Amino acid sequence: MEKITFKVQRYDPDKDKKPHIQVFTIPFKHGMTVLDGLIYIKENVDNTLSFRSSCRMGICGSCGMLINNLPMLACHTPIEELKKDTITVKSLPNFPIVRDLVADLSPLFEKHKSIKPYIIAPDMAEIEKPTAEFLQAQGQLVEFVQFAYCVKCGLCMAACPTVATDKHFLGPQPLAQAYRYSADRRDGGAKERFHETDTPHGIWLCHLAGACSEACPKGVDPALAMQLLKRAIIADSLRLRKKPVPPSVAPPQAEKKPRVAVPEFTIKKPGAKS
Amino acid sequence: MRENHLKILQYVTGIGLFFLVGLHLLLMHLAGGDPESWSSVAQRAASAGWLTIYILILIFGIYHGLHGVRGLILELSLPNRAVKVLNWSIVLIGLAVFGYAIYIPVHAF
Repeated sequence: MEKITFKVQRYDPDKDKKPHIQVFTIPFKHGMTVLDGLIYIKENVDNTLSFRSSCRMGICGSCGMLINNLPMLACHTPIEELKKDTITVKSLPNFPIVRDLVADLSPLFEKHKSIKPYIIAPDMAEIEKPTAEFLQAQGQLVEFVQFAYCVKCGLCMAACPTVATDKHFLGPQPLAQAYRYSADRRDGGAKERFHETDTPHGIWLCHLAGACSEACPKGVDPALAMQLLKRAIIADSLRLRKKPVPPSVAPPQAEKKPRVAVPEFTIKKPGAKS
Repeated sequence: MRENHLKILQYVTGIGLFFLVGLHLLLMHLAGGDPESWSSVAQRAASAGWLTIYILILIFGIYHGLHGVRGLILELSLPNRAVKVLNWSIVLIGLAVFGYAIYIPVHAF
């Protein structure tokens, strides 16, 4: 394969009424990603093409796009793995389009903010004036660490069939993060998050299609988190949920012992002063 | 009523329907004759046990079905006011269907 064809969605809100497709054929190089192709088009063919990217290594989550009808990170998608000569690239569905391939992710961030994605400590005095760090055992971290890998790229929201039909539905990313923080032993805000998610447009609209987990480039599995959140809410409602134990604070550091004096060498070096 | 309470009832009625409809089908199969005829239905409804099964199947079936329909309609991006209208509509439809369907067995009893 020497050439690759990109069918790219173009949309200029000042000129176009609706998005249309523009075709670019560019040289192909071994190991090229979809993002590399878009950068080549922008640098050599059409510098008006708009798309979002930053880290180029699947960490920042900026370059989420609909590639051959599947939501993926452009930097994380080698062209060879698509096994096609033609690649169709569009902006993420379920989000408004800003321009070309740039989707407006603000609905995601607003919903994410609504579930209070931070540690709500039961002891506010400790938060205001911390005396030491909160302790967390490895086993406690394992309970939620998978869900903490979320990079907020929005691919799960783009893949979700319920988000597609109900714009008020919180969606997989915020709901998975609601579970992530509620499962954290350092947190005391589970009740507040249950209140936010146990609504007509909340957690119960998830039908477990699993498209979010398929789409996630970081292996977060939001569908599992949402099932665990459902279980936690029902257990809490039936008073079967274990009462959260206040996080333990690390003990203050022990006073340092005076340093033991280094013994003198028994064999004196020639010329050394005795 | 919180959404999780409605969902717990959905699970309970689903499990209840599994056993009650299973029992109903088994008893109908063993009954022989023409169990769907008017006289057979009226005869069964005259017994307290059958009447209880009928009423429970009706309550569980109506709740389970209408809650499912409500879940489907909720996905249409309804605003909060429309959700309230939907909730009350579902309750009224449920009561109306229950009142209509319970008439024959209660009348026969």
